[in-house]
Amino acid sequence: MTTNTVVSVSGLEKTYGKANERQYTALKGLNFTVDSGEFVGIMGASGSGKTTLLNMLSTLDTPTKGDVVVNGHDVTKMRGNQLADFRAQEVGFIFQDFNLLESLTAEENIGLPLALKGTPSKVMDQAIHEVAETLSIADLLQKYPAELSGGQKQRVAAARAIVHHPAILMGDEPTGALDSTSARELLDLLTTINEQQKMSVLLVTHDPFSASFCQRILFIKDGQIGSELRRGDQDRSTFYQGILNELGTFNE
Amino acid sequence: MLGKLALAGIKNRRRDYLVLLAGLTMSAAIFYMFANLATNQAFLKANAAISSANVIFGFGAVLLILITVVYIMYANSFLLSMRQHDYGLFMMLGATRKRVGELVFLETLILGTLATAIGLVLGLLMSKFLVGFLLNMLGLHLSHLTAVYVPAIVATGVLYVGLFILASLFNLIKLTRTTVLKLLHSDELANQPKVKPLRQMVQGVLGIGLLAAGYWALADIKALQLLAIPIGLVTITLGTYLLFRATILMVIRALRHTGWAKKHLNGFLLGQLNFRVHNYTRMLTIVSLLFAMALGAITVGSGYHRQLPMMAEKIGTYTVAVHDKTAREQKLIDQLHIAHQATYTQKRQGKTVYYNASELTATPVELRAHSNSGNMNDQKLYTESLTKFKKSGISDLDFLSLALGKVGAYAPKILTAKQFAKQSGTVVMVTTVRVKNLQQDLPALKKLNKLETARFSQPGTMTVGNYQNYEMMLAFFGGLEFIGYFLGIAFLAMLASCLMFKILSGAPGDQRRYRMLYKVGVRQSLMRHGIAKEIGILFLIPGIMGVIDVLFGLQMFKPLMAAPMSPYLGIGSTFLIFIGLYAIYYLITLALYWRIVLPQAPND
Ligand SMILES: Nc1ncnc2c1ncn2[C@@H]1O[C@H](COP(=O)(O)OP(=O)(O)OP(=O)(O)O)[C@@H](O)[C@H]1O
Ligand SMILES: [Mg+2]
Repeated sequence: MTTNTVVSVSGLEKTYGKANERQYTALKGLNFTVDSGEFVGIMGASGSGKTTLLNMLSTLDTPTKGDVVVNGHDVTKMRGNQLADFRAQEVGFIFQDFNLLESLTAEENIGLPLALKGTPSKVMDQAIHEVAETLSIADLLQKYPAELSGGQKQRVAAARAIVHHPAILMGDEPTGALDSTSARELLDLLTTINEQQKMSVLLVTHDPFSASFCQRILFIKDGQIGSELRRGDQDRSTFYQGILNELGTFNE
Repeated sequence: MLGKLALAGIKNRRRDYLVLLAGLTMSAAIFYMFANLATNQAFLKANAAISSANVIFGFGAVLLILITVVYIMYANSFLLSMRQHDYGLFMMLGATRKRVGELVFLETLILGTLATAIGLVLGLLMSKFLVGFLLNMLGLHLSHLTAVYVPAIVATGVLYVGLFILASLFNLIKLTRTTVLKLLHSDELANQPKVKPLRQMVQGVLGIGLLAAGYWALADIKALQLLAIPIGLVTITLGTYLLFRATILMVIRALRHTGWAKKHLNGFLLGQLNFRVHNYTRMLTIVSLLFAMALGAITVGSGYHRQLPMMAEKIGTYTVAVHDKTAREQKLIDQLHIAHQATYTQKRQGKTVYYNASELTATPVELRAHSNSGNMNDQKLYTESLTKFKKSGISDLDFLSLALGKVGAYAPKILTAKQFAKQSGTVVMVTTVRVKNLQQDLPALKKLNKLETARFSQPGTMTVGNYQNYEMMLAFFGGLEFIGYFLGIAFLAMLASCLMFKILSGAPGDQRRYRMLYKVGVRQSLMRHGIAKEIGILFLIPGIMGVIDVLFGLQMFKPLMAAPMSPYLGIGSTFLIFIGLYAIYYLITLALYWRIVLPQAPND
C-alpha cells in the first residue's frame, strides 16, 4: 500500500442476516482505492449497497469478509474503543439527516469531536471559528439546530465533520434533504475544502448533479463496482452529461 | 387492523410496558395497604393509642392521594412518550383522529385497570405478610388488623380507575389536538428556556424566604398547632420550586461557559440538563418533598424505636424486680448486663412489709432525683442515708411497689437487724436489677417479665420496673412508630418511581441522541459515564433538598419526642439506610436507561 492511498478496499463482502435466518448479500467482493486528496463519488441504484459500503468504511457496521484499510488502519481488526476513537479522529461524517444534537448550540455541536479528544478550550475555540469562517456560519454559532434552516444545519454538520482535520470526509447523500441552492452551496464548499485542505472526500449520492462535483465516480451494481468514470480535465457540465450517459447505459 | 398494529407496537416494547405496569401495580398495592390502615374502623378503635394519631393517618392519606395523582401523571407521560410516534405514524397513514383517539383511550384504560386489579391482589397479600413482618420486626402488636377490608378495596379501585379514566381522556385530547408532525418529531423539539437574571434573582430570594418561613412554621408547631403542617407544606413546596427554577438553570448556564464544559461529554451533559431542566423543575420539587416526607417519616419511626427504651430507662430506678427468684429466673438474670443489683429480705405480716435496716445500709435503695427542667437527663440516680431514707425515700413509688399488690396495700417498715430477726411473717426475697442498657437486654428482660407476671400478677397490682414502663410506652407510641415506617417506605417507593418514570420518559428521545454520539465516535464508556452523571444529578438534587427539609422539619417532632428523646438522636444510621435504598433506585433507573438508550456496537 502506498502512502498516498487513504482508503483501500479488497474483497469486501457483506451478508445481512444470521446464518439460520434468511440472508441477503448486499456487497459481493468489492475492490477499490481512494487516493489521498481525491474527491470520489459513489453512485448506484437504490438498494445497490451504497449505504452498506459507507457503513463498512466508517466502522458503523462490520464486513462479513474482506479488508478495509482507512488511512493505514485495518478497520476490520478494531474493537470497542478503538472503533469509537477511529470514528472520532480519522473520519468526518455528513449525514442526510444532519445528525446534530438539538440540545447543543451550533458551536458546541461543531466542537464535539475536539472535546472528545480533550483539546484545550483555547485551541478548540480557534479551530471552531476558523472552520466557521470557511463555511460562512460564524454568525450562527450561538443558535440551536431548531433555529437553523436545512442548508444551515448541513453546513454546521460539515463544520463538525472537518473541524478535527480527519483523513477522510464521508457523506451519505448529504444533499438529499436540501433544496437545489443549498445543495449547490454545500457541494461548492466540499470542493473548496477538498482543494484547499487536500482532504479526501467520499460522497455517496444518486443525484448526477451532486456527482458531477467529483473527480472520479464509482458505480455500484449488484454489490460490485460495475464501472468507473473519471472527470479528468472536463468542465463540470460536460462531466455531468457524461454521468447521465453512463447512468443511461448502466441502468439498461 | 389498526388495533393489530397498536398491539404489535406494544409487543415491541413489552419490557418497557412491564416496567410501567410493575410501577403502577406497586403504587396501587401501597395505596391499598395504607387505605386499609387508615380507614379500618375496627382496627383504629382497638388501638386507642393510634387513634390519637388519626390525624396523622388522615394527613398521610391526603398526601398519598396527591402523590398518586402526580405519580399517575408521570407514568402516563411515560406511556405517551412511548406511543406518540406510533400514533403519529398511524395518522399519517390515514387513520382518523377519532379511531386513533379510541385506541389511545382504550390502551390507557386497559393498562390502568389491569394495574389496579393486580395491585389490589398484591396489596392484599402485602397487607397480610409485609405488615405482619414489619410489626414483628418492631416488636409491636396491633389488633384487628385484617388484610381484606372492603371499603379500602373500593376506595383504591375507585381512585385508581378514576384517575386512569382522566389520564385516558388527557391522552385522547392531547393526541387529537397535536399535529401529526409534532407527534412524529415530538422528542426532537428543542425547548430552550430564556434566562432573565433579575427575575431569577427575585425568584431565588423569594424561594429562600418561603423555605425559611416553612421551616419556621414547622419548628413552631407548639404555637401553630396543626396549622403548621399545611403552612409548611405550601411554603416549602413553593420555595423549593422557585429556588430550583432560579438556581439550577443559572448554574448550568454558568458551567456551560467554563473550560470544563468543553471536555469530553461534559458539554453534552450540560446541554441535556439545560434542555430538560424546565420540564424537570416541577418533578424535582415534588420528588424532593416526597424524599423529605419519606425520610422524615422513617426517621421519626426509627427514632421512637431506638429511643423508647432510653426514655423508659429514665423513669424508674430499677429495670425489673424479681421475687423469690427461681433457677430459671436466675439464669435469665445472669444473661443481663447489670449496672446495679440489690437483694432485700421482706417479711410480710398483715398490712405491713418489714425490711432489715442492715441490708438497706449495706446496699442503699437507689432513688431518682426530680428536676423541674423537664429534661429527664437531669433526673439522676442517688442514694441517701438510712435516717434520711426513713423520712423521704421510703415513700418512693418504686420502693413501695416492691411489696407487690395494690399501692398502699402494704406499708413498709424498717426494723433493726435484731428486731427483724424476731419479726414473724412470710419471707420473700426480692431482687432489683438495673441494666446498663435496656435496649440491649430486651429479649432476656421480656422473658423475665413474663415469668414474674405469670407468678405474681393480680388485678390492680402496680407495674414494677422500667421494663414494664417500656412495655406501656410501646403500646402507646408503637402505633406512631409503625405509621412512620410504613409511610416512609410507601413514600420512598412512590417518589423513586416518579423519578424513574419521568427520567425514562426522556429515554426514547435520548436514544436518537446517543445514536448520533455513537456515530460521531464517542466511546461506549464515555456515554455510560455521561448518562450516569446526568441521572445522578437528577437524583441528587431532590435528595439534597430533601435531607435539608428533614433536618429542619424534624423540629416539628420536638414536642412529641421530649428529652431524653430527640428527633435528631441517631439519625445518621437511618439516613444511611434510606440513602442506600434511594441509591438502589438510582442504579435500577440507570440500568434501565442504559438498556434503552445505549446503541449496540456491531462487534459486541
Ligand atoms: N440491516 C439490514 N438488514 C438486512 N438487509 C439490509 C440491511 N441494511 C440494508 N439491507 C439490504 O442491503 C441492500 C443494500 O442496502 P443499502 O442501504 O446499502 O442501499 P443503498 O444503496 O444505500 O440504497 P439507497 O440509495 O436507497 O439509500 C438493500 O437490498 C437492503 O435491503
Ligand atoms: Mg442509502
